[in-house]
Amino acid sequence: MKRRGLIVGVAVGAVAVALAFAVKAASVDGAQLLFNSGAWAILLAPFVGVFAGALTKRVDPHVEGQKVLRHDGAAILEHWTHGLGTAALLVTGILLGFLFVPRQAFGPATAALITNLHFAAVIFFLFGTFYWATNTLLATKRFKEHLPTKNAIPYTVRHYGLLLGSKKYTMPPEEKYFESERMAFILAVLATGLVVITGFVKVAAHAWNVPGAIVGAATFTHDVSTILMLAFFLAHVFFAAVLPMSWPMLRSMFTGTVSLEHAKAEHAGWLATIRKADQETPVPAVVSTVKGA
Amino acid sequence: MSEMVKTDYSRRQFIAGMGGLGIGAILTGAIGGTLLRPDRAMAIPASKGYIVVDTKKCSGCYSCELMCSLVHEGKENLNLSRIQVINDSFAGFPNDLMQFQCRQCPSPACVQACPTGAMHVDTENGNIRTVDASKCIGCERCINACPFTPSRVQWNNEAKHAQKCDLCQVTPFWSEKGGFEGKQACVEVCPNKAVALTHTIPSQTGDGGYQLNMRTEKGWAKLGFPIDDAGLVIGDNSLPMTKGAEPSHPAGKTGYFTKP
Repeated sequence: MKRRGLIVGVAVGAVAVALAFAVKAASVDGAQLLFNSGAWAILLAPFVGVFAGALTKRVDPHVEGQKVLRHDGAAILEHWTHGLGTAALLVTGILLGFLFVPRQAFGPATAALITNLHFAAVIFFLFGTFYWATNTLLATKRFKEHLPTKNAIPYTVRHYGLLLGSKKYTMPPEEKYFESERMAFILAVLATGLVVITGFVKVAAHAWNVPGAIVGAATFTHDVSTILMLAFFLAHVFFAAVLPMSWPMLRSMFTGTVSLEHAKAEHAGWLATIRKADQETPVPAVVSTVKGA
Repeated sequence: MSEMVKTDYSRRQFIAGMGGLGIGAILTGAIGGTLLRPDRAMAIPASKGYIVVDTKKCSGCYSCELMCSLVHEGKENLNLSRIQVINDSFAGFPNDLMQFQCRQCPSPACVQACPTGAMHVDTENGNIRTVDASKCIGCERCINACPFTPSRVQWNNEAKHAQKCDLCQVTPFWSEKGGFEGKQACVEVCPNKAVALTHTIPSQTGDGGYQLNMRTEKGWAKLGFPIDDAGLVIGDNSLPMTKGAEPSHPAGKTGYFTKP
């Protein structure tokens, strides 16, 4: 717990430093654009994510008394760096104007400030994304549990039919993620991939003479990806944070655990899998750690 | 069958190594580049064409602005023009009408300020200082960097990018060849011939080098207007007078010519 507090403290400190740096750079005479002077940091962030991911020892979900570990420390770290980074990117990106959305950043000083805040968000977004990607690469079972099954659409219809009060549906025991969440995951991966690839092209244009046609195509694709990301983000926030039924899950994104009662009621299939695994493998006594963090 | 080759390191260790290697390489490059690289001096070749104007010939018809917008954007809109005519009724002649055009500066602050290379020197087309709209991120640093007022770089509020005079190098709505070797819409359309192209770099002291006296005795003076900057000297080829009428002042001596 002490270690987790330290990681949270470091993360919050990093956010504060990034914001202060972005504001300071934009407020000096001649407004320094960090995308121009600090492009190297954009390249560094993915490698830091990969390095940290490789050093992280994940802890599988398990039952701890009346609680079930749903998200270990690594999951919480990658979720919030990626998620808050995405939120900041969407806000600043939209303010800078894209596709048919007019620009809201008026004047050079405001444009520079918002562009620098976009830069700071990119750093956290890339770290979180590559940290997740490395963790996933080292434990592909975590990737598979996110993928939709052939029952994705009928089960999603049943799930929300039940929530809306229809009694004609019955559900099989749910796994860790609902089928609707798994389908949304595909959209999130697609949008993230497109944003990252096209974003790198746009950043490269700050350092090298990238042909205008390539930058133009990347900008357009980046903008379209923004719409995909926004669609996913709004749906995710609504279903994972606004709906009262999702509040136990939202809490677990801070504490790491859900109640055993909740797991029995909502994710019986997942709980059964955990109990089976617990019988086969002794439960580790510590939460996940990032060595050297 | 071939046997699997056992390695002394795991996949996790390999990925950690790659991550560490990347971090080291980038930090080394960033720090080394900052510490070791000498300040780069950027040699920018001079433009091979310059627009010059004679503000005293300008009648404020805005034809140059409308044509500039038309050939570049396909519509006549004063807000989309690269050349700017400003009318100040209180200033009095000859300062009541001023034309402001890009100077194609030898050391272009707009090019140096651009973080993406969108504002660049087109070395394939006479070193014109111009904008690659596809690279423009809309930071407006170029607009702010231009040392002249009004800024010779404008924000295109419809296409959402910076724009400036390119000597009509890229005119999608005009079939004439433009650029430093071709025609310029403002030069062609001006009814008073108050805009011209020169291939000689104008004097860089003040705006004087870009505001020339283009009034000629065979042209301007024939219309009955003075040809010197002070508005005093009327050319010898002034309009023929109505028979019997006397000019209000001797030609070439004083005052503006008044037609009988």
